[in-house]
Amino acid sequence: MSGSNQKPLEVPEQSEGNEQGSPQWGEPKLSSDRTDFNALPEFAKLPKANSRHKQDHAALAAEFNKDEPRVDWHDETLWWVRQKRDKAAARVPEWELLRDTASRIKDNVLSNLSGYLRQFEEEATRNGITVHWAADANEHNEIVLSILSRHKIDKMVKSKSMLTEECHLNEFLHEKGIDVVDTDLGERVVQLAGEPPSHIVLPCIHLKKQEIGEIFHEHLGTPKGNADPQFLTHAARLHLREKFLTRRVALTGVNFAVAETGEFVVCTNEGNADMGAHLADVHIASMGIEKLIPQRRHLGVFLRLLTRSATGQPITTYSSHFRRPRQGQEMHIVLVDNGRSVHLGRKDFRNSLKCIRCAACFNTCPVYRRSGGHSYHTAVAGPIGSILSPNLDMKKYADLPFASTLCGSCSNVCPVKIDIHEQLYKWRQVIVQEGYAAAGKTAVMKTMNWVLSHPGVYHTAGKTGRWFMLNAPFTVKNGFNTWYRQRDMPTPPKQSFGDWYKKNKK
Amino acid sequence: MNESSNTATRNSRDKILNTVHGNQPAPRELPPLPEGTPVAPGDLAPTFITALEAIGATAYIVSGFDRIATMLHEQFPGARRIVTGCPQLNAFAEAAAAAKGLDPHLLENVELAILPAHFGVAENGACWITETQMVERALPFIAQRLVLVIPHSSIVPNMHAAYDRIAALEAEAPANTYGFSTFIAGPSKTADIEQSLVLGAHGPISLTVFLLDEELSDAGYF
Ligand code: SF4
Repeated sequence: MSGSNQKPLEVPEQSEGNEQGSPQWGEPKLSSDRTDFNALPEFAKLPKANSRHKQDHAALAAEFNKDEPRVDWHDETLWWVRQKRDKAAARVPEWELLRDTASRIKDNVLSNLSGYLRQFEEEATRNGITVHWAADANEHNEIVLSILSRHKIDKMVKSKSMLTEECHLNEFLHEKGIDVVDTDLGERVVQLAGEPPSHIVLPCIHLKKQEIGEIFHEHLGTPKGNADPQFLTHAARLHLREKFLTRRVALTGVNFAVAETGEFVVCTNEGNADMGAHLADVHIASMGIEKLIPQRRHLGVFLRLLTRSATGQPITTYSSHFRRPRQGQEMHIVLVDNGRSVHLGRKDFRNSLKCIRCAACFNTCPVYRRSGGHSYHTAVAGPIGSILSPNLDMKKYADLPFASTLCGSCSNVCPVKIDIHEQLYKWRQVIVQEGYAAAGKTAVMKTMNWVLSHPGVYHTAGKTGRWFMLNAPFTVKNGFNTWYRQRDMPTPPKQSFGDWYKKNKK
Repeated sequence: MNESSNTATRNSRDKILNTVHGNQPAPRELPPLPEGTPVAPGDLAPTFITALEAIGATAYIVSGFDRIATMLHEQFPGARRIVTGCPQLNAFAEAAAAAKGLDPHLLENVELAILPAHFGVAENGACWITETQMVERALPFIAQRLVLVIPHSSIVPNMHAAYDRIAALEAEAPANTYGFSTFIAGPSKTADIEQSLVLGAHGPISLTVFLLDEELSDAGYF
């Protein structure tokens, strides 16, 4: 596969050449040659970020937007991943049928989730796996701790699991004196940096290689100034191999669990889940209850979709099927609810439980690409995080459904056909109705109304500017707007936003 | 786990199942599964090899294990510890019997693992390998380099056919009912640092797949 982009895919970057140790990011430039944003009414302006109790998406995005070259780079890199997804999808003639089938399998799962959970528990138990049930994050964390305590173990390796991020397992275990090493390279990078992942598939996508070189220099003792991806990856390989060989407990996530056979599947490119699980005496797998699928043959559909949607690869390097513990090993599965069973009851929003965490909606989202994962202040960022998080805590995440242009690109790429942008729109209504919209967000709604009633303003700004003005007045407030330089906008919606809004306005 | 946390888990179980049951929508039928675009039998191996090469692996069509042994000698001249799950290569490597049941940590210095796999998948270059073929579960991951041997006639067009084959294998022989199994597609890799692809993340840094075709004449392969 060769991208038209200059970023190498098949050939790793070898040398740093004459690059400087650390990039000099320019000061953000103000763009003043556009619509006069000062003309916005007072209520449309957001309160200052630092005057807020907690920073919301708008404020955090504004922070990210201060470093304009980095924003451009972040944007382009993710767009490049999105393009790889497009190419991979185009090579499968039955792609749309696959999406439709996957979506319908998930419809069936959601309609009989309690039955499939029981069946899975029974089969997994028969296979010699211990099944645990956790009503919430805390119970999940306590279960993991109790397994560790029983074995008197205070060190563990962990492969990528967004669920454990959602449950804040690392922080919990750290407080109890347990040392957790994240073994996915990107996750290890952010763990060493003391940050959460900013993307569910590419956890350190917000960091430049020079910064990763610095982090490795500080924590792993690699030579200062060496930012060669191949060299740094090899350093991490050696560092983590020692961890794999000395840890007796490994925790992994779960991509799919099969009710029919009681097995679960973990997909990685690095092989870190397998290295951890097969060398450990105890394997703990944490999964959200929505990860179930009815039959093993359904994996054929999901494995064809997952990685093509995520990175454009035809499949991950490893798709490992765990059915029984190996001889002498203990295997545990923790089934975690943490709000999912309640979410299932929300008719308008339950479809978001179909998500297979491919992150295609992140990579295509113009807001995500230009605001960065950390601006969502939640474990699962991006469009899907913006519809899952308000279910967990409507007040805390009331800002997220507003972090969208409602362009619909997310719904277009979603391999399980979740109506993401429609749910974002519906959440806005719910949040406002329930009185959770913060002053700033009420302002966003008012801005929308105001802008829509002033067609002159939003039409002159052009297509991209129009979206931006509508939904992201934080940059308007800042007086600069890198959005306008957007080169790769997603497919424009079939109808203009104004039409869509009018049609959907009750 | 002590009694009390057991009880707590059981309470959560019932609570979760009840809430799920109360909130799940009306029954929805399972859809029929697609079969995928057909691939002509003659195109299966070439498509598989093309897919493998695109994901950073190497493939050879060979006539037999003698040929494999010769090629491995040529390609991995310096390999110090070689473990194989193919009895035909026992003279060339440490046999499965010796490595089986070992503490998997002792496989840490294996430089080359040569293992049989059941079949390959044309659309993505993946090979299906079950626990019994792996010698130890850790071996295909911990070895520095991995070689897989599959029958040339075993290639299936896509993942739908792959799961049909897996079910057929299990029906054929109970030994094929795995406790652990995996699809391996290429060498271990990562692109976590600025999307630059690097081969050899935690697992093998290279993958070679031999497609064994006993009907093949060696003529033309020297
Ligand atoms: S919502 Fe759809 S596109 Fe987004 S991560 Fe989930 S499955 Fe992928």
